[in-house]
Amino acid sequence: MQATSRYNYYEILELTANAPQHEVTAAYERARSTYSGENPAIYTIFSEQEARELLVLIEEAYQVLGNKILRNIYDQRLLSGNASLNDLTYSSIVEASKQVFPEQRAEKTITSYKKNDAFEKEISTQDNWDGSFLKKVREYKQLTSQKISEITKINSYYVTAIENMDPENLPAVVFVRGYVVQIAKALGLDDKKVADSYMKNFKSGLGK
Amino acid sequence: MEKDLQKAYLESLDFKTSSAGKNADTKLWVVASGKGGVGKTFVSSSLGITLSKLGHSVVIIDLDLSGANIHTSLGLAPSHLNVRHFFEGVKGLQELVIPTPHPRLSYVQGFWDSWTPTDFSYSQIQNLIPEMKKLRADYVIVDLGAGALEAHLDLFKAADEKFLITTPEPTSIEKTYRFIEAYMCHSLRENSTPDAYGNMISTLRNHRQRTLEKPFSFRSYLKEQTGINYDFFEALSSAPVRLIVNSARSQSNYDLGHSMKSVCNKYYDLGIDYLSSIDFDNAVWQSVRVREHVLLSQPFTPLAGQFLTTCKQLIDPEELRAVV
Repeated sequence: MQATSRYNYYEILELTANAPQHEVTAAYERARSTYSGENPAIYTIFSEQEARELLVLIEEAYQVLGNKILRNIYDQRLLSGNASLNDLTYSSIVEASKQVFPEQRAEKTITSYKKNDAFEKEISTQDNWDGSFLKKVREYKQLTSQKISEITKINSYYVTAIENMDPENLPAVVFVRGYVVQIAKALGLDDKKVADSYMKNFKSGLGK
Repeated sequence: MEKDLQKAYLESLDFKTSSAGKNADTKLWVVASGKGGVGKTFVSSSLGITLSKLGHSVVIIDLDLSGANIHTSLGLAPSHLNVRHFFEGVKGLQELVIPTPHPRLSYVQGFWDSWTPTDFSYSQIQNLIPEMKKLRADYVIVDLGAGALEAHLDLFKAADEKFLITTPEPTSIEKTYRFIEAYMCHSLRENSTPDAYGNMISTLRNHRQRTLEKPFSFRSYLKEQTGINYDFFEALSSAPVRLIVNSARSQSNYDLGHSMKSVCNKYYDLGIDYLSSIDFDNAVWQSVRVREHVLLSQPFTPLAGQFLTTCKQLIDPEELRAVV
């Protein structure tokens, strides 16, 4: 098989066009094990070079069919019948998917904030962590509670409740510790130190 | 011993009366392989035994030119009555059917007393095929010799179910592909002009010698050629060759069938069916030594289960489909 000639991705993975996603993955794994390594099944049929070329096609096919969004675009173009070969290449499909779903800005980038040496020092020497101090650090780092929620995947409602140290609006204590660890990490703090201190304060608040 | 034979012979004449009136739907199953010793005889006798246990009448015909041994695999003594009599025109095929001690199972002994080299001629095969279809049985299973001889391919093509046996060893895999190629070329020859066929054979030869610049594939080649009737692939795929991987010892041996299926698809554009893999089982060779078929001496093993599933799937695919 020539690597330059174009085959339908479904043909490459030997699937029907309505194959469910798990079959796509199974077919891909099967194809990969057939054409890579020392599988005796290709003996005397495909040379090593040919098998490698096939493997490239297989990987490409799975990049598209294994991804729901890309597969949808590919299916639409394939079924419309008037798509040119260029429209069915991997790069053109990835390009199209970017138009449909503009790439979101990387989530983890921390927004810039003005460095305040005095406050930095206060953070590093702080031993007694509580909700209000966490809030202070967050505001200092120019992060909204929504942003923290985006990074940590914790509901912003809980983020606010943690800052208010409000047990009424928080789940069981074990979960709270987990949340605090996540928030501390998002704020670039020493999560163990923060969580230990915070939980001490939090529990003493519960005790009264 | 002589008495037993006599009795068997007489019974074979009586056998005519059983399962009469079913001639129309006698199914012809042909078992072939590229390499010898991969278990054709074992698989054909096992399929026969399993089908007979499922209540179908079965005749196993031994057409191994290199020497008959279905009778040994069934644990029976060889009979002087054998398929040679049919080819010499002395007896009809139905008269050669020898019953076994097992209900609904009978067989036709292969060449056993020929001291001269045996071979099938084209006309012999053409005579044999309709005769096999006329046998009074639900299933006629043909055990062929190894290799892609002209006669084997003719029989293989005429079969309702075509079984190709391989083991996971590269030697066997290699010969299995050669068999598939021979089978395809054999079928192609009737569907193409002589020129186109000659061209294809020489291209193939160059490919084998690695003198072609580009990688070669039957599939892309045939699509580009004129003078070859390409449609027949559809027909070949609708009555697919059924691959059986015998003596599988591991998961990778089991997966081999899927891989070979994929290779056939990519290289030949030929849809084959991966029917099943048969586990390696020491009980098989042990029972051959004591000349008792393993499915009869040990009927409740996983091995017997594999044959049962395989046969059920072939007889009535709908029945198994509900299991997901």
